[in-house]
Amino acid sequence: MIQSTSKKTVQYDDKWGITTDKTSLFLGLLALITLPLLVQTNDYILQVFTHALLLASLALAWNFLGISGSISLGHAAFFGVGAYGSALLSLEQGLSPWLTIPMAGLFATGLGLMVGLICLRLRGAYFALATLAFVEIPRVITDNWDALTRGSLGLVGISGLPTLRMGAWHVDFGSSITASYYLVFAYFVILLGLVTFVFRSNMGLALQAIREEEIAAEAVGIHVNRYRLLSLLMSAFFTGVSGACYAHLVRYIEPGLVYGLHFSAVPMIFAICGGRFTILGPAVAALVLYPVDQFIFHPLLPAGHEFLYGAVLILTMLFMPNGFWGRLRNA
Amino acid sequence: MILLQLKSLNKTFNNFCALSDIDFSLSEGEIVGLVGPNGAGKTTLFNLICGRYRPSSGNILFKGIDITNLKPHEICRLGISRTFQSSRPFPRMSAMQNVLVGHIFGKGFSLHACPEDRQMAKELLEIVGIAHKADTPAGQLTLSEQRRLDLARALATRPKLLLLDEVAAGFSPVLVKQAIQLVNRVRERGVSLLIIDHFLNLSLKVSDRLLALDHGEKIAEGPPHMVMRNRDVLQAYLGLRHQDEEDD
Repeated sequence: MIQSTSKKTVQYDDKWGITTDKTSLFLGLLALITLPLLVQTNDYILQVFTHALLLASLALAWNFLGISGSISLGHAAFFGVGAYGSALLSLEQGLSPWLTIPMAGLFATGLGLMVGLICLRLRGAYFALATLAFVEIPRVITDNWDALTRGSLGLVGISGLPTLRMGAWHVDFGSSITASYYLVFAYFVILLGLVTFVFRSNMGLALQAIREEEIAAEAVGIHVNRYRLLSLLMSAFFTGVSGACYAHLVRYIEPGLVYGLHFSAVPMIFAICGGRFTILGPAVAALVLYPVDQFIFHPLLPAGHEFLYGAVLILTMLFMPNGFWGRLRNA
Repeated sequence: MILLQLKSLNKTFNNFCALSDIDFSLSEGEIVGLVGPNGAGKTTLFNLICGRYRPSSGNILFKGIDITNLKPHEICRLGISRTFQSSRPFPRMSAMQNVLVGHIFGKGFSLHACPEDRQMAKELLEIVGIAHKADTPAGQLTLSEQRRLDLARALATRPKLLLLDEVAAGFSPVLVKQAIQLVNRVRERGVSLLIIDHFLNLSLKVSDRLLALDHGEKIAEGPPHMVMRNRDVLQAYLGLRHQDEEDD
């Protein structure tokens, strides 16, 4: 009775197109490791790729939540809290960024808990709009609490990326662009490893099930609210850490910048363009789109180069709803 | 032994009374068909048992435990599983993954999938007859295959009681025959069943008892042939005129 429909079935492997991923992961990481050697004389290229790696980490962090089907338009809240948290702790208390960066992640997680308890009962567009509105709360506080945050003046003179000491040997990540690049690269690789682990674990399975069909997910024993909250907290933590890295990398922050729409929109755009149902998609999109934007569109259109992101987002949603990485892997 | 017990269960939506004063119990190993015309409250009753809705009043006991106020995932872990009227697979996940989700989470959380899980999932896909589609995304299965997948996923949670919602609706006679075999196989695994069956094409053949609802009220309960001769049931299904003719 089972009609074997000769419809072209997409081959779906359980583990997210592992072979494609493995090869491209290997080649990609190799290229990223050797990049500083290839472009030694050109600091600008390296700087752009440092930022691209940071944005890729941001996109990966965003996708912790994205995999469960929720779209956040307010990750700048976590990014800003992370950036300000780490910057203020190191400026005012003189703590080492090794300490303040993870602490900033915890601040962002705290905010994530608030967002989660209030907004996670919402779904789809309602959740997205609530997160969009939520960004305003930390932004307004940071903007107006002059005594603590110096308000809209922003913070200058933030300490650079920290030094790693092991006995006599030490490497100062803030000293050169190459060193900063490698620190951000290391963070990116760790985060990528973690994302891979979570996505392939049973928790990843639960998050996908929730995204696919929430009512069925709870009917087969998945504690939906717990998993959604957990994914939001992880997402907030790493977005906060990314924000803290940004603060120490750029060494200047202001509320309008770190709480700006840019840092809410960019991880979402990368995740959706790259493929939010894949592990690598968001990172690949960041590592391709940001350099393209900076090297090609920025010189051409200094004022409006970011139209690229909007255009790419619209085109992906129209023609590749699973993102270009999702498309490639099933091609 | 009584597995499921409903005690004067009521459910009202705003001012509309969807179920009123339902008393019912189901013993271990039993198969009960839940019948009634559209809007009788059959699916509402399922949603109450599974914890998707809270009853307005009354109690639900499962294995003697009060589950009235438990959440759906807690009820599933206690041993009640269900399929949906229009099946709800996880469309972008493979059939295998669909079943694995049920197996891994159906009895609470386990951190890592082990090989036995896959073996188990494979077995269930074989039982419902779609093992050859294990790697196909569930969204690409046919309607009948999706219903089977729904069933396999529900069984993967290792339930004591399985609620089937219109599992054979729209099936051809051949498919209905297969569904009957399937239900009997499920019963052999020691699972009790409550089957919603609007068109009566399945429950008349497999049920030990029928429970008939109309307008949210229990109108009859008993062996299938008795219930099908019940005046209220005939009236609910076929209307008053038919009954008048019978009376003449």
